[in-house]
Amino acid sequence: MALYKLNVNGSDHSVEALPDMPLLWVLRDMLDLTGSKFGCGIGACGACTVLLDGAEAQSCQVTVSAIGKKKVTTIEGLSKDGSHPLQKAWIEHDVPQCGYCQAGQIMAGAALLHKNPHPTDAEIDDTFAFHVCRCGTYQRVRDAVKAAGAKK
Amino acid sequence: MSDRKEVSRRSFIQLIGGVGASLALGSFSSLACADVTKKDKAGNTAVFEPNAFVRVDPDGSVTVTIICPDAGQGSRTALAMLVAEELDVDWHKIKVVQAPANQSLYGRQGIGGSHTIIAQYNELRQVGAATRYLLVAAAAKTWNVDASTLKTSNGHVLSADGKKSISYGDLTAAAATIPLPTTKPELKKDADFKLIGKGATRVDNPDVVTGKAMYGLDVKVPGMLYAVIERTPAFGAKVKSINDTDAHQIPGVLQVFEVPSGVAVVATNTWAALKGRKAVKVDWDLGPNADLDSAKITAQLKAAVGPHKEMPAGAKVIDATFDFPYLAHATMEPLNAVADVQDDHCTIWTGTQQPNGAQGQVANMLKLPVEKVTVNVMLLGGGFGRRLSNEYVVDAVNVSKAMTKPVKVMWTREDDMRHDNYRPACHASLRGAVDTSGNPVGWSHQTITAGGGRPGGQFGGANIAYDIPDAAMLQAGVRVAVPTGAWRSVENTLHNVANECFIDELAHAAGKDPFEFRRSLIKNDRLRNVLETAAKKGNWGAPLAAGHGRGIACFQGYGSYAAHVIELSVEGKKIKLHRAVCVVDCGTAVNPKGVEAQMQGACTDGLSTALRAAITIKNGGVVEGSWTDFQWMSLDAMPKVEVTIITGTGGPGGMGEVGYPSVAPAVANALFSATGKRVRKFPISLDEMV
Repeated sequence: MALYKLNVNGSDHSVEALPDMPLLWVLRDMLDLTGSKFGCGIGACGACTVLLDGAEAQSCQVTVSAIGKKKVTTIEGLSKDGSHPLQKAWIEHDVPQCGYCQAGQIMAGAALLHKNPHPTDAEIDDTFAFHVCRCGTYQRVRDAVKAAGAKK
Repeated sequence: MSDRKEVSRRSFIQLIGGVGASLALGSFSSLACADVTKKDKAGNTAVFEPNAFVRVDPDGSVTVTIICPDAGQGSRTALAMLVAEELDVDWHKIKVVQAPANQSLYGRQGIGGSHTIIAQYNELRQVGAATRYLLVAAAAKTWNVDASTLKTSNGHVLSADGKKSISYGDLTAAAATIPLPTTKPELKKDADFKLIGKGATRVDNPDVVTGKAMYGLDVKVPGMLYAVIERTPAFGAKVKSINDTDAHQIPGVLQVFEVPSGVAVVATNTWAALKGRKAVKVDWDLGPNADLDSAKITAQLKAAVGPHKEMPAGAKVIDATFDFPYLAHATMEPLNAVADVQDDHCTIWTGTQQPNGAQGQVANMLKLPVEKVTVNVMLLGGGFGRRLSNEYVVDAVNVSKAMTKPVKVMWTREDDMRHDNYRPACHASLRGAVDTSGNPVGWSHQTITAGGGRPGGQFGGANIAYDIPDAAMLQAGVRVAVPTGAWRSVENTLHNVANECFIDELAHAAGKDPFEFRRSLIKNDRLRNVLETAAKKGNWGAPLAAGHGRGIACFQGYGSYAAHVIELSVEGKKIKLHRAVCVVDCGTAVNPKGVEAQMQGACTDGLSTALRAAITIKNGGVVEGSWTDFQWMSLDAMPKVEVTIITGTGGPGGMGEVGYPSVAPAVANALFSATGKRVRKFPISLDEMV
């Protein structure tokens, strides 16, 4: 066990954890940030996606000891009040069904739009190819990402 | 419940259609608890709560109690819309709360069979209308006018001339003194709907997009421990011995012990539990099924096929078989539950499709009266039939009881995939015949399912949508030790897929266009209409580019009708999907956005199971463990999904399942159109087509 300092959503936290504990479980079990979801634990579904210094990362595959000074952003910290263009587009396009994978989809979209505000279909395909939505909201994910990009 | 409440409850039930009707629908044993007011949190203002389903607050907000779980099908939204419609209240004033399990108050709360909206369509509108009646009567009393002169709009009662207006929030105290109406309040005519048929975005969206939405796995209660369970490697395996020495070296691991479903590892956090589980060495007695594999199951299924009925003499006879694999539900949120077992009470937090079942099961386990078991229903990260049973609740109760602390039991993705109640594997054998004029004159369909230890039911009769003389269907099951259960559209995942592939083959044998052939044989007007609409939207008959194919299929069930046209191309060994045209007639589409979502989702399921996903059995257990080997459609592989809703009136049909059964056959038929080869096995492999 060791003590780790993390910056999550702009706040500093100290957690005592095993060095190999994935960030996902730090967020969920220790910091009570349950917006990032457990879907597979092997980096195959994207439900746990967060941003590390603005880049997409699967929090089930990043250990707490590897975070260092990188700033962690979770769905809870994407905006103060749900006003990120993707969050608004998600509601407008009524994307969620069960909603469980949606935080991961939105965070992936946020990383994409940060790099490229007007992604092509092929870039959207590349970004979301490893984000499983078991309810099949893909059509609306695509529509919402495009709409949010257009507004950025 | 007080006598006063009971009397009021009975009178309300009589009002909305009688006890018999309510119980038959299985939802509303208590519509009106009492015409009571409550204090708000500040303790000084009246809250109007005329029945168990609606509450009007002084700020004009309306809280609707949703009795059924929402697994993503949008029931929390659509059910609240029904109340809001008749109550004439702004949609943004509506809040929803999820009811805990309470069958005596709410009736059956389970979700399955696509019946949630159908069952509550009239009742919840009656709830809204009766609540509106009481508010209007309160305004009439306040203004000393005849209630029949008053109107309502956007959460206000208006005078006849529209000059006076009072908000529902200002009427709560007065409304609470009004006796229930003696006759059923009139419901709106379809033409007057402001919400139904227009659509609303989901009530949970704001919480989902900000990470606040609470699923079972997100629950944390004070003092809670975390557990995972090392589960049987083969169905029917038993624990011989446990070596937990290494597990206890992991900081945070508290206890390791046997439970009925395997070996529980309890820890202070999820990661420690997972690591502890990996470190536990369990010696298993693999039991009687250790040699079971998919090839043996397929052989068993094939061996159970009987002789087909005789086809008419002189007709051209066509034969086909279709093999279907087991399918996991693979809900996005793996199964889980939190249980807090105490001496005289137990509290559960979980996402379940059967809250009443969970409550009863826990009460039985703990020998507690049902009312001493609280089941809090969280959002479900997917259901599709998997959460109709409550094994994960049983797990949590067993572990919490042993630990005498609240415990969350989480199934890993691999647990979830390898310990499902699977859509059964199946072998379907079909024989049909066409006469020399190209008319179908014979049809015999045998479907043999691997019945999860239960023999399948047998039933005769023709459950096809086509007018074919003496069409016969026989379903039989063989006993296989792989547990099976309901999977979105259940038997129709098999029967309709086989039927719709085979009718295509008959059309081809008859030298007819598969759309026209179907159209000429369909008995039901609404089904014919969705088929024709799909053909039109899908440019049926238009020339195809080289390598492209177009396939069509349809389905009727759950009170609704669907048809699909799939356009794809085959390039070398790759299938590329171009368009999925989905058409549905579900009568009244309460929330068209939700209907569209169900069609999009069911289309994704159809494509996934047509082309990718299968569960394989080896050494008595399931091979696939995660999304890497049980592959679902991903966004990059999806075609454009175009949904057309044929708007009807007179009430809704079911939407949860109708969109699935005609997708895979449309894919198979499109592949025939593209390649001239037929599908005999799902998921489809180009190499295995004949």
